[in-house]
Amino acid sequence: MTTTTVRPASPPVVTDPSITLRVRRASEDTNTVLWRDMIRTMRQPDMLAFAVVMGVFFLVLFNYVFGGAIGAVAGIDYLQYLLPGVLVISALQGAQQTSMGLASDFSEGVNERFRSLPMSQSAVISGRTIADAVRNIAGLVLVALVGILMGFRFASFGGAVAAIALATGIGYGFSWMGAAIAAKVRQPDMVGMLSMFWLFPLMLASTAFAPVQSMPGWLQPFVTYQPISAASDAVRGLANGVPTGDAIALTLIWIAVLLAIFVPVSVYLYKKVD
Amino acid sequence: MYIMSTKQPMSTASHEPVIDARELHKSFGNVEAVKSLSFSVEAGEVLGLLGPNGAGKTTTIKMLTTLTQIDGGQAAIGGFDVSTQPDVVRQMIGVAGQSAAVDEKLTARENLNLFGRLYKIPRAERQRRTEELIERFDLGDFADRPSSTYSGGERRRLDVVAALVANPPALFLDEPTTGLDPRSRAELWDTVRSLATEGTAIVLSTQYLEEADRLADKILLIDHGEVVAQGTPDALKANLDRNVLEIHLELESGVGDAQELLASEENAVADVEARRIDIHVGNDADRSLALLRRLQDGGISILKFQLREPTLDDVFLSLTGSPSTEIEESTK
Ligand SMILES: Nc1ncnc2c1ncn2[C@@H]1O[C@H](COP(=O)(O)OP(=O)(O)OP(=O)(O)O)[C@@H](O)[C@H]1O
Ligand SMILES: [Mg+2]
Repeated sequence: MTTTTVRPASPPVVTDPSITLRVRRASEDTNTVLWRDMIRTMRQPDMLAFAVVMGVFFLVLFNYVFGGAIGAVAGIDYLQYLLPGVLVISALQGAQQTSMGLASDFSEGVNERFRSLPMSQSAVISGRTIADAVRNIAGLVLVALVGILMGFRFASFGGAVAAIALATGIGYGFSWMGAAIAAKVRQPDMVGMLSMFWLFPLMLASTAFAPVQSMPGWLQPFVTYQPISAASDAVRGLANGVPTGDAIALTLIWIAVLLAIFVPVSVYLYKKVD
Repeated sequence: MYIMSTKQPMSTASHEPVIDARELHKSFGNVEAVKSLSFSVEAGEVLGLLGPNGAGKTTTIKMLTTLTQIDGGQAAIGGFDVSTQPDVVRQMIGVAGQSAAVDEKLTARENLNLFGRLYKIPRAERQRRTEELIERFDLGDFADRPSSTYSGGERRRLDVVAALVANPPALFLDEPTTGLDPRSRAELWDTVRSLATEGTAIVLSTQYLEEADRLADKILLIDHGEVVAQGTPDALKANLDRNVLEIHLELESGVGDAQELLASEENAVADVEARRIDIHVGNDADRSLALLRRLQDGGISILKFQLREPTLDDVFLSLTGSPSTEIEESTK
């Protein structure tokens, strides 16, 4: 094996990257994965359609079926109460899709390729969570438009933008939680089943659809402080032109807590091999 | 601080192995998939990993490519330890695993572009390389369709091509030709040989003796996670230079009688249910004729017979003295 011709150049090998180089590469990789996940999102419009249909389903179901009863307790026109909550719930559904998407990367085998490549492994998750946030924004705008057709009124354009941004933010926090679950479980059907366990309690035992006064006393402390309630209250305030600083602050704290826990946990679980 | 070497990490002039495995060991629960496997591959060399189902080929390749943890022993690529410096090792390897690892929603072009970007290949170079590979492996007809729509062989080709995007110094191909048609197989064989000529160190697993014979500079025959034999294809073949006389009998009861008549033959293997006897006869036609005549004279009625090349199973038989675990057609 002594006579060998020159191999065409392959990228130079970096043996001891500095922190700055590492960060730069991680963001390049995140960008690349984001590009890949955006293509996937466009090719699967049913994911977006599903999120919008769910949102509209909640709007119609709660507004016309339970609207009268709950509206009386809420003290405002029920649609004005309901739509912001539905925006938060739709964003939460987006987080579940992060979980499902990452699990299907495992089952399709493409994660095995990613693992053998000289890339930042965390980019696989950070790219996906950003792509899902982008899709969430599109979904939330569509749900809001349906709400407007049903008679909802945003107090101002700025309020609408802030409301959608905050809902997207809490969805982004939960996306990392969804990623951690998928990185641990790795099988799409298991991930789908598990998401029922966090999705429904957070969704139903919250102020998204009904005010806390309408719930049993023992449940009220949980309902009051849990992230989906905080976000629903905050988004409702922004959308109706009566922003509440406490709710907004609590929502931002929840987003920070979710990220502080689940960014490292999901990356750790994702990297693990047997 | 970081060091960026502008040269290839290993110069082809030195004889430092590019791929170096020492006493690799891996268990899954109480299954010992790989037990103490050692080998090395130099730049420009092709190592054929040959063995039946469950021999430990895939596990070995996964250990060397950072895809599974190494339980015992050490592995290095280009001098960098696989367990402790996986980030460096990943810059030097290309892998085509046994099952396809591509994005199903992306087209071939997009997949290759994606992996090229992650290898940090500059855009112009990446595009040139992608088009070259598409041309070379004839992916053009379906390069702009999502890979979920591909036939098995088309997806396999894309997966192998994905391993070649960065032209890495160490290449791992796990049964790369399984499911390929003869034309694609020939193309892949050419590519493997020319990559080796250019200085790539290649580990290639296969179940086909012919493939290992054509491509490999040396062969590692493994079974149950252990080396059964190793050497150049020629050396191994010298060991195997014997054809097999396969005799099919008319009656099940004839098998016992035949066995008695052939008691002096060391290499006769009888399968009663299949009413079949295999005997290693070498290239000696007279010997085959004599054996057949002996059976005929003994009153055994022969349905048909044939002289065939040794199969992988025969290799195991002659090298280990006992039949290997069953060799099935790979369905993957
Ligand atoms: N994740 C796992 N859990 C348990 N056992 C495993 C696992 N992976 C492999 N094994 C076992 O390890 C052994 C070696 O498997 P491996 O996949 O390396 O074989 P192989 O030589 O690639 O076979 P094939 O030709 O069928 O691809 C087998 O007995 C297999 O059942
Ligand atoms: Mg295998």
